Amino acid sequence: MRISEQWLREFVDPPASTRDLAERLTSAGIEVTAISEGLPALDHVLVGEVRNVEPHPQADRLRVCTVFVGKGKSLQIVCGAANVNTGMRVAVILPGGHLPDGSEIHTTQLRGVKSQGMLCSARELGLGDDDAGLLALPAEAKVGHLLIRELGGADKVLEIEITPNRGDCLSALGVARELAALYGQKLRLPDCSPVKPGIKDRLTARIEALAACPVFAGRIIRGLRADAVTPMWLRERLRRAGLRSLHPVVDVTQYVMLELGQPLHAYDLKRLSGGIQVRMARSGESLKLLDGNKHTLEPDILVIADHKHVLGVAGIMGGSDSSVQPGTADIYLEAAFFSPDAISGRQRKLGLQTEAAYRFERGVDPTGQTRALERATRLLQEIAGGQAGPITKVAATPRVRARLRLRQAKLVQSLGMLIPGKAVSGILAGLGFMPSRHGHNWQVSAPAHRFDIEREEDLVEEVGRIFGYDKIPAIPYPAGQRMLPLPEERLPVSRLRDTLVARGYQEVITYSFVDAQLQVRLTGSPGIALANPISAEMNAMRQSLWPGLIQTLRYNLNRQQQRVRIFECGMRFIQQHTEIKQENVIAGLIFGLQDPLQWGLPQRNNDFADLRGDVEALLGAGGHTKRVDAVADTHPALHPSQAAKLMLGGMNIGWLGALHPAVARELDLNGPVFMFELSLEPLRQKRITEAAPITAFPALSRDLALVVEETIPAGRILDLTREAGHPLVSEVRIFDIYRGKGIDSGRKSVALSLILQDSSRTLTDEAADATMRKVVQRLQDELGATIRD
Amino acid sequence: MQKFDQLIQEAQARIAASGSLVALDEVRVHYLGKKGVLTEQLKALGALPASERPAAGQQTNQAKHAVTAMLDARRRELEAQTLSAQLTAATVDVTLPGRGQEPGGLHPVTQILERVQALFASLGFGVEEGPEIEDEFHNFDALNFKPGHPARAEMDTFYLKDWPLLLRTHTSPVQVRALLKHGAPLRIIAPGRTFRHDYDVTHTPMFHQVEGLLVDKEVSMAHLRGVLTDFLQRFFERDDLRLRFRPSYFPFVEPGAEVDINCIFCDGAGCRVCKHSGWLEVLGCGLVHPNVLDACRVDPRRYSGWAFGVGIERLGMLRYGISDIRMNFENDLRFLRQFR
Repeated sequence: MRISEQWLREFVDPPASTRDLAERLTSAGIEVTAISEGLPALDHVLVGEVRNVEPHPQADRLRVCTVFVGKGKSLQIVCGAANVNTGMRVAVILPGGHLPDGSEIHTTQLRGVKSQGMLCSARELGLGDDDAGLLALPAEAKVGHLLIRELGGADKVLEIEITPNRGDCLSALGVARELAALYGQKLRLPDCSPVKPGIKDRLTARIEALAACPVFAGRIIRGLRADAVTPMWLRERLRRAGLRSLHPVVDVTQYVMLELGQPLHAYDLKRLSGGIQVRMARSGESLKLLDGNKHTLEPDILVIADHKHVLGVAGIMGGSDSSVQPGTADIYLEAAFFSPDAISGRQRKLGLQTEAAYRFERGVDPTGQTRALERATRLLQEIAGGQAGPITKVAATPRVRARLRLRQAKLVQSLGMLIPGKAVSGILAGLGFMPSRHGHNWQVSAPAHRFDIEREEDLVEEVGRIFGYDKIPAIPYPAGQRMLPLPEERLPVSRLRDTLVARGYQEVITYSFVDAQLQVRLTGSPGIALANPISAEMNAMRQSLWPGLIQTLRYNLNRQQQRVRIFECGMRFIQQHTEIKQENVIAGLIFGLQDPLQWGLPQRNNDFADLRGDVEALLGAGGHTKRVDAVADTHPALHPSQAAKLMLGGMNIGWLGALHPAVARELDLNGPVFMFELSLEPLRQKRITEAAPITAFPALSRDLALVVEETIPAGRILDLTREAGHPLVSEVRIFDIYRGKGIDSGRKSVALSLILQDSSRTLTDEAADATMRKVVQRLQDELGATIRD
Repeated sequence: MQKFDQLIQEAQARIAASGSLVALDEVRVHYLGKKGVLTEQLKALGALPASERPAAGQQTNQAKHAVTAMLDARRRELEAQTLSAQLTAATVDVTLPGRGQEPGGLHPVTQILERVQALFASLGFGVEEGPEIEDEFHNFDALNFKPGHPARAEMDTFYLKDWPLLLRTHTSPVQVRALLKHGAPLRIIAPGRTFRHDYDVTHTPMFHQVEGLLVDKEVSMAHLRGVLTDFLQRFFERDDLRLRFRPSYFPFVEPGAEVDINCIFCDGAGCRVCKHSGWLEVLGCGLVHPNVLDACRVDPRRYSGWAFGVGIERLGMLRYGISDIRMNFENDLRFLRQFR
């Protein structure tokens, strides 16, 4: 909300600077986020009077004006505005002066005629959007005076952010009330005394929905002058608050809303038939609103209607048919209190956002309707004359607010500081809580305009914030009595992250929502959809971290990166029957050279085995390396011949492989991409080691080279070797794989290195050889292996 | 006598002239080998008359010792020279970069989260986690967001299409889950991802928060201020960091406050980052609303508590100068590598 400082100071004028006001408000929870100038810089801009208008000899559209600028001085100014007229008061920039956009005005020749300055439109002066013609200043503007002075002199505009609980502060009055309490000053209200009715006309109003509309008041005003214009000062107030001047009647209703916080609505009286009804909309009822659109209403929407039509959506927006028009002479002015429950959520439903609804949703003073009507009537009569009828008001029995108790002990306990009882009483009284003190306790009633005071804690906050949160001391809270548990059977995730970082991976964080289409490609289904995604590229919850990693790869390849090694830790979301499984996973992707470009290693692109090595390092952090099997299988995202699922005791804990070349091509990736994704929880499980003694007996090592069919998986060879070599074989490693000369095509040579160890005695060559024979036999029998010498 | 002096002199010259261990060995053999000059001399002693034998023996032995000593010295010298030459030959260019993988790095958000967790662990705050897809109860109802209240609408919530669920708009639902699970007293922090329907220079539809919660007997705003002062001073490593508490509104706390720190870029003098206010907003906090304790089955007459929520990207902006929050999730490697 934007509000003029001058306006605030009409209510309460503490001896304090703008900055001080802003700081006090901010420290009380009414956050001033910015202070700006109320007026643009208008040096050298004077009020002038057009004394003579002649046609320009060389140009049809231009006029040569003689403009009196006071002190006996007149200027000849060439002007193109259509509305320039003799006798008009205008804004004149003298030569040497500047427009707010910075351009300097000089004495010039315009089509051969001297022009000593410039006559300005509102837009040129930075005083509004209107550039249809010259800004017409009111007749009472003093010729020769600086325009700034005529506009009320320098002013600041405070930009204030009001939290949703403080609807009472959405007006000059509301903010001024806070200032009065903060500075201990009295509030001065504008003249809201009753206007004596000049006519007897009235409109009956019937409320069908009393809970939704506890107060409905209005009056007829007849005989408004058709030629009335909104005075400069009022337009300025609206402009500084960020509103546009539209029509004198509308301007006044807006003004009173900004001033007192009570939204008003004016109807063109001759468009109404019969009395007013306040009721819930009927199913299927529809209405064209002031936004120009036809809206279909539902029964949870409160409407204002007459005997024939729906006139408007209560508290949100009026209908266009019954709205005031240029020249409207007779109006019906409405001021109501709609309960927040009846308004909240409805404007969003209708796709609207209005100042009135914003205030009703947050709570408007239920006692302020008459005051606002009187204030608006006075302003309207000043501007456009007219005769007012009596105010008619229908109201439910006002809700009696419960007295609340505030204990000094509660204050001390909650705030951690002692506020003297006298200060507490003063603060409560200043805020209009009408406190009565009983020893160390107070009984209070919240004023009608407050919608956020329900219990003692709310009062604690009130007293605390006016006294000053910043006076609350900082008291250290003792550390926990016991140390935090540190379960050793669950690895910290940081161990896994660090493992990948040490292997050259950069951690990334990608969005949890991805493109459903890409997700179909990578996981086979679109995933759980968002009802209101921020964009089509982020419309489904990720079922895998791969879509995000692949997009990150593409993003970086487009930015001249050639070698990418990235990983992410986070949740994936998978629908399982009627539930959503939210599971933490760790996923990685490598692309390009295996090692950074260097002198000491041959350049080569990474491959499946490189990725597998990284996955094994992750498995190794929790000691799972040997208990996890990689099983060749197919996955929608992966190359059908380069994909494996990882099995831990019958449970699939993840996948690794090359991105399917067809997908890679679709995504413009010109090289193989290797990726893994593993469930985090199984990786984090770790067995607490039970240490075994180290044997004192020496081990023997034996090498074995065998030739097998190409299709025999290495894992099978290793498993069989371990099995057949049990219990002496303690370690088996593949140290070479060879294909080519000397080996039949379709076969491969696999070289194994075995360590044999007997923990209870020195292993003899004979015993080792016997085990080796068993191993060889088994490999021959089951895999058709031949031994190479 | 003279004969030996001459022999020693001659040996000395030959030894000095030996340029290698092989040549030196030849000299050794010449004098001390089985048929060496001095060996022959010793053998010849037996042929001398008994009266001359002791003197001649002594002279021969002295000569032998002298030659041996010279040989040893020269051998050590030659060995040292050889070693030195070998060492020189094995010179490596120590400035040549090392072989193998270069380490990667952690995302700045992770680095901050780990830092925050470590600081609160030292005060006994354990880490709790909760789901990112939440329900209305945990994200709103239990946190005293009334249905239809503007505070609820202002949250810019993401909803799922075919499920009555939403993406959590804050980490506060973990307060509720943790209290329902563990009861009071309790002290936890809850780090994690949060989601709001918003996208510009200062907002991304996903961001990270850390929630802090302490529930115990007789907990006050002064304790909250104490712990937050400690935390922020330690986090920014500035013991002179000042905090400002401003009243604010979050439905799940009462009283509620926003916390500013004096601007770490200009020391409060006023600059572009703090919009010339001298203050930087860092977090929201307050005393846990009794309705929240009630919803979590904790008796608000026996217990009170405080809670805070801090934006991790906001801390990253202040600590590392990340001016555009969106950079956190663009994952440009050139950006991320700066945090190694």
